[in-house]
Amino acid sequence: MAPITKECDYLVIGGGSGGLASARRASEQWAAKTIAVESNRLGGTCVNVGCVPKKVTWNAAAIAETLHEAKAYGFSIEETAPFDWKSFKHKRDAYVERLNGIYAKNLGNDHVEWLHGRAHLLSKNEAEIVLDDGSKEIIRAKKILLATGGHPNIPKTSGSELGITSDGFFDLEKRPEKVALVGAGYIAVEMAGMFHHLGGETHLFIRHDKFLRNFDPMIQDKIMSEYERQGIIIHRNSSQSKVEKHPEKSGWLKLHFSDSETKSGTLDLDCLLWAIGRSPEVEDLGLDRAGVKQNERGQIIADDYQNTNVDGIYSLGDVCGKIELTPVAIAAGRQLANRLFGGPDFKNAKLDYTNIPSVVFAHPEVGSIGMTEPEAREKYGDGVKVYNTSFTAMYYAMMEPDEKAPMSYKLVCVGPEEKVVGLHILGSGCSEMLQGFGVAIKMGATKKDFDSCVAIHPTSAEELVTLK
Amino acid sequence: MAPVAKQYDFIVIGGGSGGSGAARRASGWYGAKTLLVESKRSGGTCVNVGCVPKKITWNFASVSEMLKDGVHYGYDIPQDIKFNFAEFKKKRDANIEGLNEAYERNWSREKIDLVRGIATFKRQKEIEVTFEDGDSAVYTAPHILIATGGYPITPQDIPGAELGITSDGFFDIEDLPKKMAFVGAGYIAVELAGVMNAIGVETHMFIRGNTFLRNFDPMVQKTLTQRYEDAGVIIHKNHKGFNAVVGLRGGKGEGRSLKLVESNGEELEVNELLWAIGRAPEIERLNLAKIGVKLAGKGHIEVDDYQNTNVEGVYALGDVTGQAELTPVAIAAGRALSNRVFGAQHASGGPHLPQKIDYSNIPTVVFAHPEVGTIGLTEPAAIDKYGKDHIKTYHTRFTPMFYSFHPAEEKKLQPTEYKLICQGSEEQIVGMHILGAGSSEMMQGFGVAVKMGARKRDFDACVAIHPTSAEELVTMR
Repeated sequence: MAPITKECDYLVIGGGSGGLASARRASEQWAAKTIAVESNRLGGTCVNVGCVPKKVTWNAAAIAETLHEAKAYGFSIEETAPFDWKSFKHKRDAYVERLNGIYAKNLGNDHVEWLHGRAHLLSKNEAEIVLDDGSKEIIRAKKILLATGGHPNIPKTSGSELGITSDGFFDLEKRPEKVALVGAGYIAVEMAGMFHHLGGETHLFIRHDKFLRNFDPMIQDKIMSEYERQGIIIHRNSSQSKVEKHPEKSGWLKLHFSDSETKSGTLDLDCLLWAIGRSPEVEDLGLDRAGVKQNERGQIIADDYQNTNVDGIYSLGDVCGKIELTPVAIAAGRQLANRLFGGPDFKNAKLDYTNIPSVVFAHPEVGSIGMTEPEAREKYGDGVKVYNTSFTAMYYAMMEPDEKAPMSYKLVCVGPEEKVVGLHILGSGCSEMLQGFGVAIKMGATKKDFDSCVAIHPTSAEELVTLK
Repeated sequence: MAPVAKQYDFIVIGGGSGGSGAARRASGWYGAKTLLVESKRSGGTCVNVGCVPKKITWNFASVSEMLKDGVHYGYDIPQDIKFNFAEFKKKRDANIEGLNEAYERNWSREKIDLVRGIATFKRQKEIEVTFEDGDSAVYTAPHILIATGGYPITPQDIPGAELGITSDGFFDIEDLPKKMAFVGAGYIAVELAGVMNAIGVETHMFIRGNTFLRNFDPMVQKTLTQRYEDAGVIIHKNHKGFNAVVGLRGGKGEGRSLKLVESNGEELEVNELLWAIGRAPEIERLNLAKIGVKLAGKGHIEVDDYQNTNVEGVYALGDVTGQAELTPVAIAAGRALSNRVFGAQHASGGPHLPQKIDYSNIPTVVFAHPEVGTIGLTEPAAIDKYGKDHIKTYHTRFTPMFYSFHPAEEKKLQPTEYKLICQGSEEQIVGMHILGAGSSEMMQGFGVAVKMGARKRDFDACVAIHPTSAEELVTMR
């Protein structure tokens, strides 16, 4: 049967954070006839296998920490109350499904037509969508947005398919007893923290001697020492040569590795998680047919305005690999919709990619915006002044010294005006603390601006406006 | 023979937040020979019967709440976990004692002379301090700072009122009451009642109006008052007052019993009654009349923008002046005063340091359940100042992700609500009011931005951090 042909103003390929934000803005605000295509679940990575289930699980892990701490406050509770992983997982799934439903509803409310299927570009203004039942639709669009996101990588190591990735983390129906994570980015660090607090023996394998290598050294050092204090086993300078099914224990694996202490060792585990990086989702997108250029990692090349090299085709979000965060994709998506459909007022609309704040949900939380100290020193040399503080939050007043978690802040300033070019914070409460400081720094705050605001007492945040 | 007056550059009466801030700056930074007079415990209200024990107790209540939240996440936590309040209180006390010592160590290290006693003015530049043992000594200085703070008021016209406690007494409680009454609608009543309710005490609040926190934005008043009721606090609204308090049984905790006789004839029996009806300045024993220091209506010491009283060389700041009764305000005012009076001639000083503080746009947090953060004007105050046509508000209300697994009737107890009040065509933010889990740590950064003159578009220009509650503040429509 001949495929149905449709025409529209805006075809958005990818129903994740970036794609949907752009589609909804174009349709609802600018009345652009918009079609969105999603091949998996609405909401993309963030809703289904990223931010949302991550944060829910982090909340569960945070509760475990509080249970551990309650005894110091005088509560008669066993330090680790049993955790029903399966029932928690099902509740989390139900929550995500509700969100999938809400996303569909929102698209409807904003008059965006959406198709469930896999898109392939046919040319620079046409794409073929293969729907679930095998039927096809050809969409001809004035503008096309590629926001197909990415997926986690699995290494070529022998037996690597026996491990899971972050996607698989959210499928786990029961708590692993002994888990190894391989990777040194924020995903590995976040998941290692969660596994540990939810009650498993946790090993983290990193290639070098530090993790979070794009973060300020203060963060790297303090989180690593805190993780080790908590009991997470970190294998430095490590590599993995082979993964095999465990010869005796059914359902278990044997990992062959080397690290700074062991030339050739093995580890028995019931869960191995690769968090070694993500690749763009472009394989069958048909980029070559439209002539869209990619970089050496396969990511779609987009300029500051989200233009690709092909007129009428745009790209944003994880598939471009610029700053892989949901709110960045959303903001870029909205700016793009404004620029394409909002008329002359918005002809220069784009997202400013500088000073974007982000949080790592480790234990404790990490917040960061702007330059690291090394980056600042490289750019500004002697003009850099750094303010530091480390302290213990009042919450830990009840605990023994070895049970207290750290709190550390670093403010990186430049020039005689002491303009704040970087802020790095670590400790309980930092995840909610950073946003406001992000606004101030984006406004061009100086150290004096920070100091001019009266402190709020007693909080941890007040230490940021009383730095010496 | 008349006692020889010991001479100083600076005398600070009151070793609380403001006094300590001023003394340490003057002595530690500028080398001014400084005497500090404290009649009670080092650190004043904040350390001993205010901010510090309040926050520690709030943390305790928060842990208690988390234990209940854990059930919804799949933790097998028994519903009625016992806790040892006396053990907790002991640890809290020990923490405070540690702070008392830290204050004294800091003073000693910065070469401040500390004397313990009650100060009274003999002459403009001279005070007499009477020590605990009855002895006394006289001190003079060209600059004298009054930072004696305040104390909670107990009603004088209700027979038996003295059977109730104030916030001071709250921190003496070792045996928890089963049923407790709070009289008052300010943040102190709200915070202390909130904590008691959270840890299982049957809590009654008596307020004169329909809502509490009447100086706060209507959104905060409405949502928080409602939330307290939903959480089980029994709020007696539009209350006309009490005729008497009758002691039924002495003792502590559940053993103690008081009868509250209301002016409408009704009676309520409780184990403990707490008056949180306001605070008065601590000036009685200073003998201010001797040197003619001018007082305002309720007895607060009148000062100008630079903390000068009407008497040359005599200054006042902190709770005793009744201006923004907050520890960080007193500290900042103390430091600014010392910068001005002693810093000018010193290498460490100079005009680049604050010489006075700006009392506008001071952010604060109320440690209620949930937390409340605020800076700037309420909506009615903004409308009053700028006219309704020039004010635009942005508002959002949602349930934070943390409560997604809680049943509906419990979700209701955990609102998060934010309001931005913008002025003029530039939408300058003149007021920000937030309520909900995490608000206490959220507020400071936004305070910096608002103080810098942030407009709505400055908020929106910062990319959101996800997933957090705070991100809702930069994506408001």
